[in-house]
Amino acid sequence: MPEVVVSIGPHHPALKEPVNFKIIADGEKIVRLELDLSYNHRGVEKAAEQRDFIRVLPLLERVCGICSHSHSTAFAQGIEEIMQIEIPPRARYIRTIIAELERMHSHLLWLGVAAHLIGFNTLFMWTWRDREAVQDTVEEMSGNRVHYNMNEIGGVRCDLTPAQVNAALARLPNLEERVNKYVDMVNYEETMLLRFRGVGRLSKEEALRYGTVGPTARASGIDYDTRKDDPYLAYADAPWNVVTDTNGDVYGRTRVRVWEIQESLRIVRYCLENLPEGAIRVPAPKNAPKGEILSRYEAPRGELAHFIRTNGTDRVERVDIRTPTLANWTSVAMCLVNQNLADIPVIVAAIDPCLSCTSRITLVENQTKKAGVISFDELIRRYRSRNPEEV
Amino acid sequence: MSVLGEMFENFLSRPITILYPKEKVPIPAAFRGRVAIADDKCIGCSKCSLVCPAQVITMIDGPRDVEFKGKNLARKKRPQVKLFKCIRCGLCERHCPTGAIVLKNELSCSGTDGEIVLTE
Amino acid sequence: MTDPVFGLIYIFIFPGFLFLFIYALFFAFLDRKIASRMQQRVGPPFFQPFADFIKMLGKEVIDPAGVDRVIFDAAPLVALAAVMTAYLYVPIIGNSPLAFQGDLVVVLYLLSLPTLVLFLLGWLSRNIFSAIGGIRAITQLFIYEVPFFLALLTPALMAGTWSISEIVLWQQKNLWFVFLQPIGFIVALIGLQAKLERTPFDIPEAETEIVAGPWTELTGRRLAIMDLTIDVSLVVGSALVAALFLGGPLIPWAITPAWLEGIICFLLFLIKTLAVLLILSSIKVATGRIRIDQLNDIGWKYIASASLVQVGIVLVMNYLWVYA
Repeated sequence: MPEVVVSIGPHHPALKEPVNFKIIADGEKIVRLELDLSYNHRGVEKAAEQRDFIRVLPLLERVCGICSHSHSTAFAQGIEEIMQIEIPPRARYIRTIIAELERMHSHLLWLGVAAHLIGFNTLFMWTWRDREAVQDTVEEMSGNRVHYNMNEIGGVRCDLTPAQVNAALARLPNLEERVNKYVDMVNYEETMLLRFRGVGRLSKEEALRYGTVGPTARASGIDYDTRKDDPYLAYADAPWNVVTDTNGDVYGRTRVRVWEIQESLRIVRYCLENLPEGAIRVPAPKNAPKGEILSRYEAPRGELAHFIRTNGTDRVERVDIRTPTLANWTSVAMCLVNQNLADIPVIVAAIDPCLSCTSRITLVENQTKKAGVISFDELIRRYRSRNPEEV
Repeated sequence: MSVLGEMFENFLSRPITILYPKEKVPIPAAFRGRVAIADDKCIGCSKCSLVCPAQVITMIDGPRDVEFKGKNLARKKRPQVKLFKCIRCGLCERHCPTGAIVLKNELSCSGTDGEIVLTE
Repeated sequence: MTDPVFGLIYIFIFPGFLFLFIYALFFAFLDRKIASRMQQRVGPPFFQPFADFIKMLGKEVIDPAGVDRVIFDAAPLVALAAVMTAYLYVPIIGNSPLAFQGDLVVVLYLLSLPTLVLFLLGWLSRNIFSAIGGIRAITQLFIYEVPFFLALLTPALMAGTWSISEIVLWQQKNLWFVFLQPIGFIVALIGLQAKLERTPFDIPEAETEIVAGPWTELTGRRLAIMDLTIDVSLVVGSALVAALFLGGPLIPWAITPAWLEGIICFLLFLIKTLAVLLILSSIKVATGRIRIDQLNDIGWKYIASASLVQVGIVLVMNYLWVYA
């Protein structure tokens, strides 16, 4: 059978966000994949340069709807390190609680989406039903289901009352029971085993070579988690383990995610029960001294990096956001080769792509208005031709 | 086939969906909803308009005598909020020194006209 | 079939096409409602399939560039006509007056037509998703059709007749085939699920992979009629399985007056088809979609072997017991 080009996206029922795949298929087997990203460039980085530190956090939360807390925490941590201020322990714990609740709802959402992609809508409905409990908890604590806006430079915006803590603790046992059920289902449910096992396999060496992060890397047996390797917030205090799996396929990534929900539940429980007393914020100076920092944070999808450069004013000179999805894209293109056409959605979804967050750059020629792709060397050459003094 | 038991359990129980307009959704006390300004507490310090990320708070003329820390204060300006451009981040509430501007737990407060302002 | 007026009423009004139309839409509603309640959702109101049908009839019909309009219009009608004709030979209140020796084969043939029409639509659409869906539909047809036919023909083998009505009569005298041929019954249900392209066999129209498969370019009344075809096939398939394995709408003893017996037979038909629907809906809810290569493995290795084993058992039973 001759090779056919199946063009998926930017509008397609399987994709919730705009991306374009050109899949060159031979029958039902995939030969090659061509990716076209950045349909949704929003200029967040440029907008961040024009707001002071108070007003930039709500903007950075809106980089991503699912991991909104990740972006603002990563940024706040970086600025606090440049300003050399230490946030109080209660603020650290509250940030940790919100971060882990966010991880739980992100992973539950992913589990539902993955089930939906293989046509298993029952699990989709159930996980999203149970995810409501997590969202309700976050809503009670912060006032919103998605954009918590808990962070500010030097601490957190609002305190947790004992009533909120007790309400959250009361929700945990039921949630734990449900998550244990999902762990069983992921490991023993025949439909999921049929569709997930051996699909999109990535060996440990390949995962290292293509620079994967987060659950994708951990499913391939790489023991890499920023929370353990470079502890921030309250992760050094709480009892928890890095979850890894040796399968390396979609099945492994599913298992890593459901186990991570269990670990998150342990962290949340510990933090809620051992919430230290004291202030929730320290006063932060208006301006940050001149400096550069790379702030790392383990978002639900993997390691998130914010590169921040300040120049002594109340604004950043440059903030560069590397989302985990960008780090994982290359591995998807490699995973898909020689797989079945029917497995595309599930393999793509296995890294939990967040496409709009990833759209950091788009290239449009000024005269012709044509968008396109250029190589990294070409990008460097253009940069140097415009900024000769920096070479 | 471990789902079968739960499937039939669900089949015999009631659906969990809240039929929204008919049934009310419980709204937590901390919910960040519509902005409300207590005019008798506002001292016209302009902090809210400075921290607002969406820049929907502008200071307009509103001279009034306000009691602040036991003293009488003659303020000159008061804030005006463009309701449907507000992103309900809660920064104004957090930075207000007198607690005059708050986000109430009102859920249904959406609209399309960005120029509509809050009127008391 | 002596009185032509009776024949016309039977074919067009009750229990013919008008009843079939209403019952098919009701069936579609029940199917969705059962699935939704198993997932703890509310589900659609009872007139939803009817409202969808009317709405889609009123929508604009879009012709993709370069498509043969006449065939594209005609194909869904052919499919609908085929399954509605098949319905006339299935016993509903007592035995069908149109029954003849060999109508089982005709019904099976007519039930296969919608799949062929889907393949044709996919091929005609000039759309890559439709083409892949069409190819998948026809591949799937080759996989499930053999065990499905074998499973449905084993009752005929044991009853010694090719007429559905006579098979029902045989069951009235002896035992339901679901007890005599449990393997055949299971294979028939799986085959029916595959024929109707429902989860786990919705491979040709997998919405997350190939948009809607052969359905992608169907719009307006074409989509409405094709949807109705699948709903009607669900009724006909359930009625066929109920007739062949669950004893059909007949009871083993006679009741007077005749109209009371007619009503009881009709209620039996409703109960038995709804029972089959409950099983089919549960399968739909409990599983996810499998891949076409996995279906190939499972279909030929297990389902086809199971139906062959059933045929063998029936031959031995015929030799030792039924015709001994």
